Formats: sequence, C-alpha cells, structure tokens
Amino acid sequence: MASTATAISVSATSSPFKLSLSHFPKKNYNSSFLSLSKPSISHSLSSRKSIFTQNLSSKPSFSLIPKFSESEAPVIEPEAAPDPESTEIETGVEVETALTQIVEVEKEVPKREEIFAVVMIGSRQYIVFPGRFIYIQRLKGANVNDKIILNKVLLVGTKNSTYIGKPVVTNAAVHAVVEEQGLNPKVIVFKYKKKKNYRRKIGHRQPNTRIRITSITGYQDYPATTLET
Amino acid sequence: MNKDKIFKLAKGFRGRAKDCIRIARERVEKALQYSYRDRRTKKRDMRSLWIERINAGTRLQGVNYGNFMHGLMKENIQLNRKVLSELSMHESYSFKALVDVSRNAFPGNKKVALPPKKEGVSIVV
Repeated sequence: MASTATAISVSATSSPFKLSLSHFPKKNYNSSFLSLSKPSISHSLSSRKSIFTQNLSSKPSFSLIPKFSESEAPVIEPEAAPDPESTEIETGVEVETALTQIVEVEKEVPKREEIFAVVMIGSRQYIVFPGRFIYIQRLKGANVNDKIILNKVLLVGTKNSTYIGKPVVTNAAVHAVVEEQGLNPKVIVFKYKKKKNYRRKIGHRQPNTRIRITSITGYQDYPATTLET
Repeated sequence: MNKDKIFKLAKGFRGRAKDCIRIARERVEKALQYSYRDRRTKKRDMRSLWIERINAGTRLQGVNYGNFMHGLMKENIQLNRKVLSELSMHESYSFKALVDVSRNAFPGNKKVALPPKKEGVSIVV
C-alpha cells in the first residue's frame, strides 16, 4: 500500500517497534495535536486499530526503544471527533499525497518526552516516567482523580542532560493523578514457636495508592551535566 | 476447610508433602515460617545486590564503591542504592555524570584506573 511504503520511509531512521503497521516518528519530533489536526485527515481506521494492539507494560526501563504504557487509549479518543468531517473526504483517500499521509501518521502517535525523574514518596525513591503508573504508600487525604504535585525530585534525566539534585532539584515538580486506592496482595504472617504449642496466623493487606505520572516540570533552570555529542 | 487450605498452600511441594495431610501440614507450617523470616532477609539481600551492581558500574569508570559513596555523601546527594543500581544498569550516561560528580568531590582513586597487573605477564601500556 502506498501509505505503508511512504510511512516506512519516514520511520527508516527511527528504531524498530513490535507493531506491524508501526510508523512512529523520530524521537525529537515535537508533534502536538492542535497543530496537526487541521491538515491531517483521519482516513485509515486500520492504522488506528494497530495502536490498540500494543504490548502495554509498566516496567521502568528507559532504553532507546520506548515502551508505550496504558495512556494510549485515552489519547486516541479525541481523534474520533474529526471523523464526521473526514467522511466527505473519504473519496479523496486514494488521491491523497504522501505528505498528508505522513503528517496524519505522525499525529496519531502521541509524543512521548524522553525524560525520567527520581522522586521520593513516603521515604521511598522511585524512578518515574511520564505516562506510567506506580504503586506508592497510601496517601491519606487523596481521592480518585486528584492532581498531585511531588516536590522531592532528586534527579531529572533528559535525552542529553542530567540534573543531579543536592539533595533536591530546586523548583522541579512531578505532576501525577491519583488513579486508585487499593490494597497490596495478601501476606500471611505466621508465627510459630516449636515445642511450646504457640501458633499465630494473621493475614495482612497493606493499603496502597496507584498514581499515574503526567509530566515533569521545573527542572530547566538547574545546573545540568550535559552530554556532548 | 482447614485441610483444603493446607493443600492449596502446599502446591508444588515435593513428594507426599503435597498429597498427605500429616506431612503437608508440617511442611506448610515450615514454609510460612520461612516466608516470615525471609521477608526480613529479602531486604538485606536486595541491598547487597544493589551494592554489587553499583560496584560493578563504578569500577567500569575507574572508581570503587566505597569512594563513590563517600563522594556522594560529601556532595549531599541522597539517592539510595536501589535507584543507583537501576541507573547504573539502564541510564549509563546519567550514572557516568554521578560518578564524575563523586570523583570531583572525593578523588580517592585517581591512580587506579586499570585492573591490577598480573606478574609474569608483559603488558604494553
């Protein structure tokens, strides 16, 4: 198909992905939905279906091949809105130029900023990435869908520079949303003393909170160690 | 039912310990005791694993673990060993920046950049 041929030429320089119809843009391409929604015409339901079959994982490994986490689904929904206006342009699908197809393809994939932070919550440190969730100790006053700002940011790393906090990166903030207040899996606490007829069995579920990281801000003015490449 | 719960916890045990209640009860009690004890030892084991990994990562840059941690403490960097080991595995550039910071703060290892030389082997430096 013409679309895959042109799309593959775009993604030739980017790293390979697991999807069959994978045409992801280059990492440093700053694509925002507002700027690209006007010229782009969502003609292909097939290429949108391919994104739903992604392998979703929340393992925090920040390799050059980024793994996309669950926030794909909510991001795709607003793109269903321009559908009514695309029906009349359906006939022009085959006549579309390669340029509009490439532009539309890059719009479908949300931009993932390559950044991570080390944040301290509940006296434990976590490496966080935007778009992924983590389980932390239960926050007493938080309800579901609360916005949270985490201030104790110990290290921020971007593609070319690292901001090492001593101990904290000043004015850096990690924004997160509370997703769920649940319980850890049950742990059986079994106490036993031999020959003394003493056995106690207790089940325990530690409360936890799941938060999803939305963005990392405020680190730009801090002195950074930059990679010269 | 107590027996059913015991057999459920005894899944995967060896021989009659998963089938016969008298043996299974003993083994399950022992398994629960071990899990209680090992929840505490897991914390110790993980910390020593992190230290091993940090040691390996810093020695690639020519700094050993002790001097590295001393330099970080001097600079008041409060990253814990878990995070440092993760960075040394996956974020090599950030880890290198940390090693450089530590080396500037405490240059204890300037001479030892190569592995120790073996006797009887001629090394071209």
